[in-house]
Amino acid sequence: MTDPNLRIRGLAKSFGGVRALDGVDLTVPAGQVHALLGHNGAGKSTLIKCLGGAFPPDAGTIEVGGRSHTRLSPRESIAAGVAIIFQTLSVVDSLTVAENIFLGQEWTRYATVHRRAQEELAAGLLERVAASCSPRDRVGELPMGQRQLVEIAKALSRSASVLVLDEPTAALSGAESDALAERVEDLRTQGLAIVYVTHLLAEVERLADAVTVLRDGRVAHHSRVAGHTRRELVEAIVGRPEPLPHGLPAGASATEQTAASASADAVPRAPRLTVHGFRGPGFGPVEIEVAEGEIVGLYGLIGSGRTRILETLFGRRRASGGTVRVGERAVTAARPSDALAAGIALVPADRRRQGLFPLLSAQDNALLPTIRPLARRGVRALFAERRVFDTLSRAVGLRPARPRLSAAAFSGGNQQKLVLGRWINEARRVDVLLLDEPTQGVDVGARQEIYEVVSSLASQRGTAVLFASSDPEEVVALAHRCLIVSQGRITGELSGAQLTEAALLSAVHEAYGTTTMYSEGAA
Amino acid sequence: MTTATTAPARRPTPSPRALARGGLSTLRRHPLFVVLALMVLVFQLATGSFLDPGNLRGIATDAATLAIVAVPLALLVISGYLDLSVGSTLALGGLVAGWLAGQQHQSPAVAVLGALAVGATVGAVNGILCCYLGLSAFIVTLGMLTAVRGVAQQLFPLPLSSFGSGFAWLGGSRIAGIDAPVVIAALVLVAGALFLALTPSGRHVFAIGVNREAAYLSGIHIRRTPFALFVVTGVAAALAGAIKASVLDSVVAGTSGAGFELTVLTAVLLGGVALTGGSGSILGVLLGVLFLGCLQNGLTLLSVPTFWQQMAQGTALVAGAALAYFGPRLTR
Repeated sequence: MTDPNLRIRGLAKSFGGVRALDGVDLTVPAGQVHALLGHNGAGKSTLIKCLGGAFPPDAGTIEVGGRSHTRLSPRESIAAGVAIIFQTLSVVDSLTVAENIFLGQEWTRYATVHRRAQEELAAGLLERVAASCSPRDRVGELPMGQRQLVEIAKALSRSASVLVLDEPTAALSGAESDALAERVEDLRTQGLAIVYVTHLLAEVERLADAVTVLRDGRVAHHSRVAGHTRRELVEAIVGRPEPLPHGLPAGASATEQTAASASADAVPRAPRLTVHGFRGPGFGPVEIEVAEGEIVGLYGLIGSGRTRILETLFGRRRASGGTVRVGERAVTAARPSDALAAGIALVPADRRRQGLFPLLSAQDNALLPTIRPLARRGVRALFAERRVFDTLSRAVGLRPARPRLSAAAFSGGNQQKLVLGRWINEARRVDVLLLDEPTQGVDVGARQEIYEVVSSLASQRGTAVLFASSDPEEVVALAHRCLIVSQGRITGELSGAQLTEAALLSAVHEAYGTTTMYSEGAA
Repeated sequence: MTTATTAPARRPTPSPRALARGGLSTLRRHPLFVVLALMVLVFQLATGSFLDPGNLRGIATDAATLAIVAVPLALLVISGYLDLSVGSTLALGGLVAGWLAGQQHQSPAVAVLGALAVGATVGAVNGILCCYLGLSAFIVTLGMLTAVRGVAQQLFPLPLSSFGSGFAWLGGSRIAGIDAPVVIAALVLVAGALFLALTPSGRHVFAIGVNREAAYLSGIHIRRTPFALFVVTGVAAALAGAIKASVLDSVVAGTSGAGFELTVLTAVLLGGVALTGGSGSILGVLLGVLFLGCLQNGLTLLSVPTFWQQMAQGTALVAGAALAYFGPRLTR
């Protein structure tokens, strides 16, 4: 068959003026693995979702197996032979492997499910993906790697011809990742067109026949053969040939080896957050020190433990060892209210689930934990609340600055300003601000504003800021210093002129492949 | 959004026009207001006696016990919980008050306090199981509905009556020309509205109902506040039971307050409180209570058989839900 299995032409999609996809072409012939690379927000997930029918593209065509579509519904996408394996798998834990594979397309006999026929067919499909589980196993009891194979088997059962894998190894162990790579190679020889979304250059080198790099919704790089160098790919992802050195001089470096030379810095600052031998679920021990007014990044891939470190510091999860100090005071946060009382606040990554109160007004969202401190004798100080809100909304540039509008009506960026505003308004004392993916789902303009708010908070009020991010661009823009997190440990540190996007990308990839540290700290 | 909210947020003194628009937006948020007014008009035209002072007084007294329980129940529903046990708590509260006043010859104050203590106990059990142990409020309070009724029947197998003239004061006296139960209900309504509008916990109730996880991460007491609401709901149900016992001068363990929990819930939901939590208002609850009270009274005046009345009540709830769902789409 010479017809390519998947051919995307000029695909475009905007969200409220933000161009998520801007004329993207992508061609994947049968029997090829095509790697799709790019930053968070470069347009990868939008592309996948257009392909899967989650939303209609504004322009362009999607051609699958010779039939051209201008838009697809989820049902049409499946019927056309597209199968997408998302990072968050869509298997049903309480059902068996066979039941999952045939979910929605059950084999029936006498109007009941023909269990044995399903299990026999499932066994064949599981063999094709070399899964070790049995058709009768409950999916909830299987390891992640096996669940993923179940989902791939489900795709095969629907005779998919295009398979999209969205960062498939993010949640897998090293051995499981290797096994998955072999499966992908098998499926390629079986004639599937495979789109492989990843952050890891090592996987691209091992698996891909062709590579497309997206940046700001456009194709930034495309090569048919694996003749490119890592450096070329990193440059294509980052978007400039020579990464700009970080402008700001770093604050006092906190690693032990450089502590002695810290006196060389212009303004030696007192440590505001000191974390020593800190251990918790899936991470540790880690050492972190953030000085007064310093902004430190935790950079790592999804699943590296950066979110858990922040959540445990905030008392959302239970620490299993180590000490945390805010200034001189030792802090044990068993629950978020303890952390808040000690002056530690967290802006969580999942705004919709953990941050926002969509039905409540903007003012309620921004001031919720502040209402009680402002109240007098148990009665709300309504005028003071409005005054604090007005000052805050000017400070963060809230648009529209309407206190009574419900939070659901704001854009993602302005919602994030509301959640952030909860901790940075004048009536609140926060010594240590923890931010998890501070600009996830935030448009470019608001992103810059949020960086400015956080920076001025650090410089003017001396707040120590520790933020986790999977976006190197964000780390370079915001952090004075960055710790590399990999598999629950801190494997390196970058600061000053070394803190570049290219250095960050190489650091995680090396930390992932081998356990060598990227850098010995500031020279 | 409504046109009223597009007006500039800060204005030194609201102009009459702004006030009118504010009134309009209140109407739009509470379409029940219009329905209630129409219903009153129809009943008055049909019966000619619906708006007589004597009849209105009857409606108010009937609605009073409903309102006393509906207010704390509404707060509980806004915070994402539910209490189905109030019908049985009401019965137990009435029995305890009547027993203390009638059999034990205690003062009316002691009788009422005894009832409130029993209500607080039932509410605390509900609250511990639902808020601190995290069990489903639906299941826990459904179980308590049956269990408390069983306790009431075990403790008071025989009907109680003749509680004395002192105790009759609670249901029968008039304060400034208004029946005591109506005065109590008005106080409860005002307290509920002030609580929601003016106290920090009032805001927290909404926050917990909208997004419990986010409320927890904001350092809000996500257990303590709903627990207190469970206790207050139990107390309110027992108070309503004492009032009913006083009005009727008798209580029967098996039948007192039977089905009351669903009537209160109907009033709360008719009043626009979302069963999913996070939204609702005391004004809405008042409208819901008055609507049910007027509907029942008007149909009785028209000699409509009881089962038709029940059908009307049920239809009103479903129609109200449909209106809340489709209304915003139609007016857009």
